[in-house]
Amino acid sequence: MPGDNISLGSKLLPGMLFFLCLKPRIPYGKKYNKKWLLTALQNKCSVPFKPVHGHKAQFYLEDAFTAHALVRASRQITDSEGYKVLVLMNPCPPPSILNTELKPQDTAWLKQCMAKRFDSSQRTLDLNQLRSDPDLVSQNVCPILSRKIFMDAVVKIIEENIPELVHLNLSNNKLYQLDSLADLITSAPHLKALNLSHNQLKTEKVLDRLKGLKLVDLWLEHNPLCDQFKDQPSYISAVRERFPQLVKLDGYDLPLPIVFDVVATSTIPPCKGSYFGSEEIMFLILHFLQQYFSVYDSGDRQPLLNAYHDGATFSLSQPSSQSLSRCLLREYHKDSRNLKHLKDPSTRFRLLKHTRLNVVALLNKLPKTQHDIASFNIDVNTHTSMLLSFTVSGVFKEVEGAFQDGVRAFSRVFIAVPAGNSGLCIVNDQLFVRIATMEEICSAFATPAPTPSSSLVPALSTPKQEMLSTFSLKSGMNLEWSQKCLQDNNWDFNIAAQIFTQLKVTNLECIFRL
Amino acid sequence: DSTGKGLLDFRSHVDASCRYSEEFTNIYYDCMDKKRRTLTRLYLDKATLVWNGNAVSGQAALGEFFESLPSSEFSVQTLDCQPVHELATQGQTTLLVVTAGQVKFDGHKQRYFNQNFLLTAQASPTSDQPVWKIASDCFRFQDWSS
Repeated sequence: MPGDNISLGSKLLPGMLFFLCLKPRIPYGKKYNKKWLLTALQNKCSVPFKPVHGHKAQFYLEDAFTAHALVRASRQITDSEGYKVLVLMNPCPPPSILNTELKPQDTAWLKQCMAKRFDSSQRTLDLNQLRSDPDLVSQNVCPILSRKIFMDAVVKIIEENIPELVHLNLSNNKLYQLDSLADLITSAPHLKALNLSHNQLKTEKVLDRLKGLKLVDLWLEHNPLCDQFKDQPSYISAVRERFPQLVKLDGYDLPLPIVFDVVATSTIPPCKGSYFGSEEIMFLILHFLQQYFSVYDSGDRQPLLNAYHDGATFSLSQPSSQSLSRCLLREYHKDSRNLKHLKDPSTRFRLLKHTRLNVVALLNKLPKTQHDIASFNIDVNTHTSMLLSFTVSGVFKEVEGAFQDGVRAFSRVFIAVPAGNSGLCIVNDQLFVRIATMEEICSAFATPAPTPSSSLVPALSTPKQEMLSTFSLKSGMNLEWSQKCLQDNNWDFNIAAQIFTQLKVTNLECIFRL
Repeated sequence: DSTGKGLLDFRSHVDASCRYSEEFTNIYYDCMDKKRRTLTRLYLDKATLVWNGNAVSGQAALGEFFESLPSSEFSVQTLDCQPVHELATQGQTTLLVVTAGQVKFDGHKQRYFNQNFLLTAQASPTSDQPVWKIASDCFRFQDWSS
C-alpha cells in the first residue's frame, strides 16, 4: 500500500516537528464534514492525535507512530452513506506554511556552534552529526539538517560569514535531499570538497541539485544511492556527470578526466612599432612628414596649400564624452565632426572641409603646435600605384594660448596620390586629437631634438653621432628625422648601410618640396 | 569641379557616405564581437590589416588572425568618414571610415583604440546592388607601447 514505507526512527523532542510528516489522505474526502471525520477517526484511533494544519480531509501529523495508528483506523469508520472511510498515509516534507524562521536565539546558537566547527586555516566546516553536538543539545537546539528550515539557516550562515568555504562535511545528518544546499553554488563559490557520506540520499538524481558546484573531492559512501549502481565505473560515471572536475570520490583518486579545448585563447599578439611595408615607402613617407610638419609647426600653415590636392578633404574629431577632454580641447571642439553624436546632415556636410583653400583655412585656425617627432608611429594602411594611405600617431604640445605646453596625442590618416616630381599630394586628411595620458606626457619630448647648429648632439655617443650625420647627408633628411629613423631601427649599422644602398638605387631625389 | 551640379553630387555623396559609415561600423563591430567567424566575409580577398604593427594579408591569414584573438567587447565612441578622392581610386567608389573608442578583449583590461578602414564598393555576383568590402584596416591601441 502506498505510504507504507514509514521510517520510525526519530525521537520526538519537545517543541519540534518531526521531520517526516505524514499526510493521511481520505479519498473522496471532500464530502466529509471535517469535525465529524476527525472525531470519528479519533474514536477509532488508539492513540490521540493532533492534526497540524490541513484542509477538509487532508491534514498533517507529527509522528510516524500516530500515523500508523490512524491507518489502522481505516475502514473502521462508516460514513452516513454506508461507505467505509479509508485512511491513506503519504510521507512528505513539512508543508511550507509550517516553515517559520528559526527563532533568533536558535540561529545564534547554531552560528556559534558552526564557528567552533570552522577551521579558518583550512577553510573547513565540519557539521558531521550536527544534532549530537553537545553545545546545541545543552541549549535544546536540535539542528535536524534534513529539515529545510535548518539547512537553509546553515547555508545562510555560510553565505554571510564564511563565503570562502572550501571543505564542507555534512556526513551523518540523515539528509535525504539536497535542495537547500543548491544555494551554496552561489554563496560558497570556492567550495571544492563535500562530504555527504552516511546519509539517506536515495537516488543519484539528488545530485542534480548541486550541479554547478565545482567539486574536486566528494564523499558519498553509505548512502542508499550507492547501492543502485551495478558496478564501480557506472557509479563514478554518474557522479562525474554532475561534477566533471571531480578528482577524488569516497577517498579514492579518480583517473583524470579528458577535457575539450574549448577555453578561448586569452593572448593577444604583441604590439609592434611602425609598419612601413618597404623601405622605399618608409623614406617617401618620412621625407613627406618632415616637410609637412616643419611647416605645420612653423606658425604659419599657409604654405601647406602646396601639400594638398585641389579637391582635398579634411575633417577632425575628438573624444566627446569626457568633460576634461572637452575643456582642454575646446579649440578643436567647434570643428569636431563625430558622426556618433552629430546627426544633422547640413552640419555634417559643413564640417567636412572641401578644397584645399578651405582645408588650409581651417588648419590655420587650429592651435599652434610643436610635434614630438620621436614619438611618431607610422602604419602604412595600403598602397597601390595610385594611392598611398598611412596613419601617423604621436604627441604634440600647444605652444601658446591658455593651454601652453599642454601635451596632446593624435592619430592622423593621410591618403595621398603621387604628384609629379614632388612625391606626395594629399587628397584625404582625417585628424583625431585627444589629451595625452600620463605616460605619454612623461615620455614626450624626452629626446632633445638635434638642431643644425648643434650638429653633434651631446647625448649621443661618437659612433652614433657619425652615423647620424652621414645618414642625414645621404638621405637628405634633417638631423631630427634622421635621428628618429635611426632610433626606430635601433641604430643598427647594417640596416643603415642597407638604407644607403637603397637610396643609391632608387634615387630618392623626388623629395616633396614646399 | 565647382559647377552647381558638381556640388550637389558631392553633397549627396557625403550624405550617403555618412549613412554608409554608420551602417558599416554597426555591422563590423557586431560581427567582431558576436560572429567573429564571419568577419572575413567583410574583407576583400586581398585586403590588408595592420593590427598594432602586425601586418596580415589575404582571407586565409585574416581568418586565422581573427580566430586567434580572444572574444571582444567593442564600444565605438567616435566616428568620422570621408569619401576618398576618385583620383586615388581610379573611379572605384571608396570610403575612409575612422573610428575610436574602447575595447575589452577577454582576459585583458579595457583599452582605448583608434581604427580606420578603406571601404570599396564592389559589384556583387549575386545581386544588383554593389557591396562594400574592406580593402584595408588599420588598428592600434592608444597605449600600444605600454
